[in-house]
Amino acid sequence: MDARQRNFLAVAGMVVLLVAAVWSFWPLNKTMRQGLDLRGGLSVILTPTTSVDAAAMQRALTIMQSRVNGLGVSEATVQLENDNKAILVQIPGIEDPKAALAAIGQTGQLEFVEVASLDTTTQSKVEDGYVFAPGSYTAFMNGSVIKSAGAAASNDVATPGYVVNMSFDASGTATWATVTTRNAATKGRIAILLDRRVVSAPAVEEAIVGGETRISGNFSADEARSLAAILESGALPVDLRFSQTEVVGPTLGQDSLQQGILAALIGLGLVAIYLAIYYRGLGVIAWFSLGFFVITYIGVLAGLSRVGQYTLTLPGIAGIVLSIGLAADTSILIFERFKEEIRMGRTPRTSAKSGTKHAILTSLDADAVTFASAIPLFIFAIGPVKGFALTLMLGIVCDLTIAMLFTRPIVILLAESVIAKMPTLFGVKGGGANA
Amino acid sequence: MRRPYIDFMGNRRWLFLASGIVLLVAIASLAIRGLNLGIEFRGGTVITLSNVKSASISQVRTAATKAGIAEPQVQSSASGFKVRSAETNMTVAEKNATDIAATLNVPSTDYQVSTIGPEWGNNITNAAMIALAVSILAILIYVSVRFEYKMAVTGVIALAHDVVITLGLYALIGRELTPNTLAALLTIMGYSLYDTIVVFHRIRENSKNLTKRTFMQMANDSLNQVLARWINTGLSSLIPVVCLLLIGGATLGDFAFALTIGLISGAYSSVAVASPLYAMWKEREPRYQALAKKYATSAVSK
Repeated sequence: MDARQRNFLAVAGMVVLLVAAVWSFWPLNKTMRQGLDLRGGLSVILTPTTSVDAAAMQRALTIMQSRVNGLGVSEATVQLENDNKAILVQIPGIEDPKAALAAIGQTGQLEFVEVASLDTTTQSKVEDGYVFAPGSYTAFMNGSVIKSAGAAASNDVATPGYVVNMSFDASGTATWATVTTRNAATKGRIAILLDRRVVSAPAVEEAIVGGETRISGNFSADEARSLAAILESGALPVDLRFSQTEVVGPTLGQDSLQQGILAALIGLGLVAIYLAIYYRGLGVIAWFSLGFFVITYIGVLAGLSRVGQYTLTLPGIAGIVLSIGLAADTSILIFERFKEEIRMGRTPRTSAKSGTKHAILTSLDADAVTFASAIPLFIFAIGPVKGFALTLMLGIVCDLTIAMLFTRPIVILLAESVIAKMPTLFGVKGGGANA
Repeated sequence: MRRPYIDFMGNRRWLFLASGIVLLVAIASLAIRGLNLGIEFRGGTVITLSNVKSASISQVRTAATKAGIAEPQVQSSASGFKVRSAETNMTVAEKNATDIAATLNVPSTDYQVSTIGPEWGNNITNAAMIALAVSILAILIYVSVRFEYKMAVTGVIALAHDVVITLGLYALIGRELTPNTLAALLTIMGYSLYDTIVVFHRIRENSKNLTKRTFMQMANDSLNQVLARWINTGLSSLIPVVCLLLIGGATLGDFAFALTIGLISGAYSSVAVASPLYAMWKEREPRYQALAKKYATSAVSK
């Protein structure tokens, strides 16, 4: 395969890449996951009040995940941040942040109280939502004995809707058997308390000796899920406090997004105009390079977004805008070197081959330094710095890909024909003053 | 068309002087005025009200005081207001915001509450410091391996120059430093080296068979050879960022401000700081000293 074929092949590869990129991001508003700062929603960072080990944080994370899932919101994320020293909860598009904050913030002391053990006035008051005064009751067991809990559709016509199934560990099963046996005849109730507040107070239908328990109460799917989450999550192994709480209104973020997109487009347009004025025909090549860069870049970001590895945030937009400049820089380096070699008296053909090669080597080094400084930012920094660094690194990769697949081959291919025939149009007339 | 030839190296004392004065102002601002750290670093609450065009600053302040905020700092922004307080309890802050919004008739979709605990800022700062240190190390290693350590050191000096100037400007005009600013600053570090690497690349290429010119003269020739691309790459990076500064809105503008200052300073320092320092250092090497003795009639080799 000769050089000419190789260059055609590179351009063909570029076309394939573009098709793949468009396929990846189309339709953009569906494929690109937007961060909370753009969509609006609730973002909470929780940190433990005392230093705890990684295992405890992992348990706290699991509990927090089930609590947030219990809210029935879609696309919420709960993850460890800052070297496993913080939990980040993000709930996009939430309408009532207060309820969510309450659910996240509860300390989660889960207790079981035999209603029959209470005095008669209190007994009549026990219903969902009732809050016990501290010390006014004795719990026969707490949430630590629950092995698992889950919501399921009821298969019993007598109790339609959803039910909650739970199972206990050995000691829980034993206690549960004793209490349910005691209450089965009278259909006595057992109150389930979360932080002294009654979340459910089902009546005992029969003695349960095996541990497997079904709570039925004509629950809706959400109610059942929420109760199951509470039962399963139980008490947090660590005491967490709110380190950062952010509630972003949905219109605010979208305004920022639109302003950012507008700024990026205007910036792109102005750079394109400048390049066309300064580099004439070569500037038009740069339009394609820049256009292809933007398409590939968005395609990569959207592709990562599809698999949950990238979320577009405000810092990300700033990173994208900076990358546009970076991409233009690469084209400029290529054109300048090409023109320089022509000024030195070489033919367009030779200049294109050697000039573009040297220019790409230069931009490879310049980009690599930027990349090398972005990697630590991505690894060590938290919050906005991370998103910014990732966006920039991806921009650099896309930029170099376009330079090698498109800008260089097209300059070489055109140098043999169009540029050689019409040097003035491309601003590359040989024999300059510095030659 | 005659291409301009500028004697950068001959005028390096003036370039250093210009940098020195700006650095002095920057350091003095940092020492005297200090940085205006955002609540993200100190802990506290920011309530952002948007689409409130009818209210005045004093009305917002009254509403904030009425909501129970002891010393509210009210600041107007492009489309609304920012109310800052020292409140670190999220529930109280949320309540304050609701009260202010109710007083000013702002719908719940148009305000945003952000509360940050005092210890969280330390986390962000520490993480950023580690990232900064490792970044500089990565740059030093890469440039030393790919080029040489003298380029790495002078490049990093230019980079420090850019970061100090950008931070100094923040102190001088009292602009609030946010984690976003920090992110932009850290990015500038890598980016500020872009131009420097382009120049160093050319110097290295030209130094391969250096005869009949001093290193200084050759370096100056190299600078002039890459002058057009230095201006054009500088402009093409700056244009989109300035667009973002002008029309990107408050948060994006925050990034763009730091990026703009950093890019300008970075472009300047690659030619006026990194390159002359590097050339001066290289001139001390024996073989370039010999060349300097023989050919140093003028700084310009034409």
